[in-house]
Amino acid sequence: MKVIEHLLDMAKIDRGRVRLRWVSAAEGQLFANYIKELSGELSELGPFDPSRYSLQLSAIESVLNSPRVRWLIGMDRQVTERGNVYSRKVDAAVFEQTLRTVCEAEYQNGLILELLRSGPKTVREISETTGIAVKDVSKRLVDVEKMGAAELSGYEGCSPRFMRTAA
Amino acid sequence: MSENKKSSTGAVMIVGGGIAGTQAALDLAESGFFVYVVESSSTIGGVMAQLDKTFPTNDCSMCILSPKLVECGRHLNIRLMTMSEVEKVEGEAGNFVVSVRERPRFVDAEKCVACGICAEKCPKKVKDLFNGGLGVRKAAYVEYPQAVPLKYVLDEQNCIYLKNGKCRACEKFCPTGAIDFSQKEKVHQIEVGSVVLAPGFKSFDPSSMDTYGYGKYPNVVSSLEFERILSASGPFEGHLERPSDRKAPEKIAWLQCVGSRDSHPNAHGYCSGVCCMYAIKEAVIAKEHAKQGLDTAIFFMDMRTYGKDFERYYDRARQEAGVRFIRSRIHSISTAAPGSDDLRIEYVDENGTMRVEIFDMVVLSTGLEVSRDARALAQRLAIELDSGGFAKTNSFSPIAASRPGIFVCGAFSGPKDIPSSVMEASAASAASAALLADSRNSLTRSKTYPPEDPSVHAEPRIGVFVCRCGVNIASVVDVPGVRDYARGLPNVAYVAENMFTCSQDTQKLIIEAIKEHRLNRIVVAACTPRTHEPLFQQTIREAGLNPYLFEFANIRDQDSWVHQGEPEKATAKAKDLVRMAVAKAALLEPIEKLQAPLIQTALVIGGGVAGMNAALNLSAQGFKTCLLEKRDELGGHALEVARTWKGEDVSAYVAELKQRVLADANVEVLTGAELVEAGGFVGQFTSLVKVGGGHREIRHGAVILATGAEAVEPVEYLYGQSQRVTRWHDLEKLFKKEPELLDSAEGVAFIQCVGSREPERPYCSKICCTTSIKQAIDLKEKKPDLDVYILYRDIRSYGAREDLYKKARGLGVLFIRYNADEKPVVAKTSVEGKEKLKIRVRDHVLGFPVELTVDYLNLATAIVPKGLDELARFFKVPLNQDGFFLEAHMKLRPVDFATDGVFVAGLAHYPKPLDESVAQAGAAAARAASVLSKPWVEVEPIVSIVNQELCIGCGMCEANCPFGAIRLQEVKGKGYRAETISASCKGCGVCAASCPQRAIDMKHFRDSQILAAIRVGAGGGA
Amino acid sequence: MSENFEPKALAFLCNWCSYAGADLAGVSRFQYPPTIRVLRTMCSGRVEPLYITEGLKSGFDGVFVFG
Repeated sequence: MKVIEHLLDMAKIDRGRVRLRWVSAAEGQLFANYIKELSGELSELGPFDPSRYSLQLSAIESVLNSPRVRWLIGMDRQVTERGNVYSRKVDAAVFEQTLRTVCEAEYQNGLILELLRSGPKTVREISETTGIAVKDVSKRLVDVEKMGAAELSGYEGCSPRFMRTAA
Repeated sequence: MSENKKSSTGAVMIVGGGIAGTQAALDLAESGFFVYVVESSSTIGGVMAQLDKTFPTNDCSMCILSPKLVECGRHLNIRLMTMSEVEKVEGEAGNFVVSVRERPRFVDAEKCVACGICAEKCPKKVKDLFNGGLGVRKAAYVEYPQAVPLKYVLDEQNCIYLKNGKCRACEKFCPTGAIDFSQKEKVHQIEVGSVVLAPGFKSFDPSSMDTYGYGKYPNVVSSLEFERILSASGPFEGHLERPSDRKAPEKIAWLQCVGSRDSHPNAHGYCSGVCCMYAIKEAVIAKEHAKQGLDTAIFFMDMRTYGKDFERYYDRARQEAGVRFIRSRIHSISTAAPGSDDLRIEYVDENGTMRVEIFDMVVLSTGLEVSRDARALAQRLAIELDSGGFAKTNSFSPIAASRPGIFVCGAFSGPKDIPSSVMEASAASAASAALLADSRNSLTRSKTYPPEDPSVHAEPRIGVFVCRCGVNIASVVDVPGVRDYARGLPNVAYVAENMFTCSQDTQKLIIEAIKEHRLNRIVVAACTPRTHEPLFQQTIREAGLNPYLFEFANIRDQDSWVHQGEPEKATAKAKDLVRMAVAKAALLEPIEKLQAPLIQTALVIGGGVAGMNAALNLSAQGFKTCLLEKRDELGGHALEVARTWKGEDVSAYVAELKQRVLADANVEVLTGAELVEAGGFVGQFTSLVKVGGGHREIRHGAVILATGAEAVEPVEYLYGQSQRVTRWHDLEKLFKKEPELLDSAEGVAFIQCVGSREPERPYCSKICCTTSIKQAIDLKEKKPDLDVYILYRDIRSYGAREDLYKKARGLGVLFIRYNADEKPVVAKTSVEGKEKLKIRVRDHVLGFPVELTVDYLNLATAIVPKGLDELARFFKVPLNQDGFFLEAHMKLRPVDFATDGVFVAGLAHYPKPLDESVAQAGAAAARAASVLSKPWVEVEPIVSIVNQELCIGCGMCEANCPFGAIRLQEVKGKGYRAETISASCKGCGVCAASCPQRAIDMKHFRDSQILAAIRVGAGGGA
Repeated sequence: MSENFEPKALAFLCNWCSYAGADLAGVSRFQYPPTIRVLRTMCSGRVEPLYITEGLKSGFDGVFVFG
């Protein structure tokens, strides 16, 4: 849930659109109250237009599908509560920070790759559309190139253009 | 089986097909016995079928009853014998021969298809007694639409042909030739091992009490008639109207204790035990029904909301629904004015002022009594009855009739509510099963289903059945609209709407529709899958479809009931839900049932009366049982109790029980033993017990939780500050130890509800009133000149305990009522140098404060659960808001949990007297036996499946599974691959959600199925 | 946003806890706005984060997960 909230933040989708609540079998009143409360929050936020966020949502999906993130999420309790293979427990805050960093990187990778679906782009173009700083775009492009998901396709003037090679 | 002992007959006869009889039949049939259900009317169902809603959950009575009736009606090992009565029972326990007289139905049940043409053509109109005589039916009729068996019947008393020899209209029009006037009375001789009597009760007839004007004023109705008025299938189709002019009433009064707690010759002295709760329920439901405001007033003497969650229900009725409660007994009703249909009630209010109110309608809360027929049955069978006319039982075997091998349950042995009846029914089945253990499975048959239709793999052809649920759904959701909408959805090949989709005839319609329209997926839009999915799954299985090709759309519990004021939006939601269900259904796949091994032993936790009884019954049924007790001695709280309220010797009983348990070779007793860990699942639990300085691992197939409860230590009324203030049995013990203290005492007081019925503990501890009254009587009998006071809020001497209350008053025990906001004040004082206690309390009869001086004060403190949290966690079962175990269903599954193989008995469930603990222990044993008596456990096959091609053997799933239900296995040539342990898998899907490779999917909740439902959920609709 | 905008939310309810709680709300007639469309899962642990994005992509205004 933390991951999802973090990803929503990055995509600038309000956290109020995704909520987790606990209700037991005996708490009918609580359930009704939650629905009232959460629905109220949602109407404040207004309708959600998925087409405006299609790039971001696809990027989130690619994060959630990435084995790297799935591994980390899966290992959470194991390494923070029981310890890693060296029997060392990882501090929960450190773990969360790692997860955040990885998510952020994967999210940006996803965003760039999604954008490149619409054709080759320069670093500047990518930065403008996605809002990722130019230096970070370059870093991410190294990543995705390593993954074999994108490559240099040519030059526009002296600016290199990158294209998507992954399916 | 020894050769020289004649083996018993592995069949049981249940007499009476109400909820108690139905439950007993199902329990026995599921535990390997053949069952005959003898019912005098034309259908099973009993009074519960007539009720609109049930307290305290406001469940629709028919909705929860109907699945049980259907199950009973089609159980292979249950034979229904309607229109039948037991003539005599010969032989002895284990081998009875019963003569059953079957009256003619005049309809061939084999041929009748319940089309209803006979009723339509029948010219004779008759008062419809099922509807309390408020409507009419024909002489050819079915009692109610969900009747089981759903076969028409000709009313011999009213049929024109049978009386005058002319008519035969029904015969002429019946399309199947089912009418058979040649049917004659038949007598059957049936061999059974035991007999369970569950003939139920009859509602008291108030017409003998002329001051109420029942039968004279049309708007004075009995409570059962009012249930029918509220019911959607009742005479007014669920519209709240009064009989005289069908006008919607604006003011309704309920008069409590009509025929109960009454010394008039035609009435009964006992309390009927259920009327307070049903009156509250009727008032609350009536308010819900009323479009405009409705004023409801309940006139009562003592409000007896003593059961689980009852007090909360009472609080809500008062505080939220605004039901008025007036403490005053009404003796007569008159018309408001000459010629008026309105009714006038005079009463004295709590301040002693005379008041007059006019009501549109008055409901008489009539009590329960044993019918003349049931009393005649008892006489024929040589069963003793008590002074109230109920079957005589004792507290230690509350389900044993006076004749060995004959058991009783339900309201026949005393007025009681549905859960108590269900518990006793299960207990009676446990007692029968123990008696007949040697012949289990000797007369039962096993079921063969038709082969599954392979057409499921072809193009989906979905059938959608939309339920009206009487008015429960249809009054809010536009059911025909939803049905027509479903017709246009992809892959839908057939749609239908039904009045009650769960009724037996609809099951037939579904099967026919599947065959006729070659349907291979079924969607039912109705109440909730939690109660009704199994029924429909079985139905489609009977039609040759795999039970997992079924999907539920919840349009009642989560739609019509929660959006009552927004019919259009509720309809749109129903359409969305149906669309989602259809989308998922199209992708459903058949799943094979799984069978898991079963350890045929039980663990009983808690060695009190409940635990010991459960262990002894399981042992008698042939199951090895381990009984765990934390203390060093068996007996539990019963060790503190000298006698039951009936005067039976508890100490002697507990001693005998202990001896029997310890001598039983099938029961292993571990005292001083503590459960430190438990895990597993039905069929294969593993519990770790700390005992005798070491640890023992116990493997068992089922577990019964009977750990009891304890009395709270109060901080009020000088408890702990004065030696003269005691609680529960302490005063009794003190006087026994030092009789001179009683000799020198001049006054003793009891204060009730200490810590109970308080905001922080809003429940009644149920047993305190009876206990204090019993102790007060003992004191008065020992020392008649002793002043004995009981300070109470409501006296809750329910059932036959009312006699005790009456006796106490007769002996001069003074009862003083106090209000929760004006509690008694206790102070130390001294009179002529003697230390005493001074109690100030406001007397509500006199209307001013009184001061009592007593030597001792005994407090009836609240009964609270103890240490259940850990057990709840071990066995994955819930607790209710008060910390007691929360059973699977308050009404119909009072000892079960949603978690299979775990059962509850005794005070860990709720405070209760000894006889009810014994009954519940029997019930828990019966339910555990229905698991243990099978060769294996049928496992829900909704489990995870691993795609071995995608799996990389990382072990993440193994690490994350909360149930230890997935592990790595070496696969030749591939290294390690994950593998599901199906029997332990709960289908939670944590493994699937956490698999880095997305190699795990869940059967019946596949990714593709869920995604399909999500994708269609938001769009479209109306 | 507009006063009478009524959102539509996807709700995941776990069979043993919140689904039963929601049924209880029905049985008790606790009224709430008709905004949710419910999907039942055996456990809230089954709810893949991807289902949440799928919900938003499919046009729901929000997604609630009840454990």
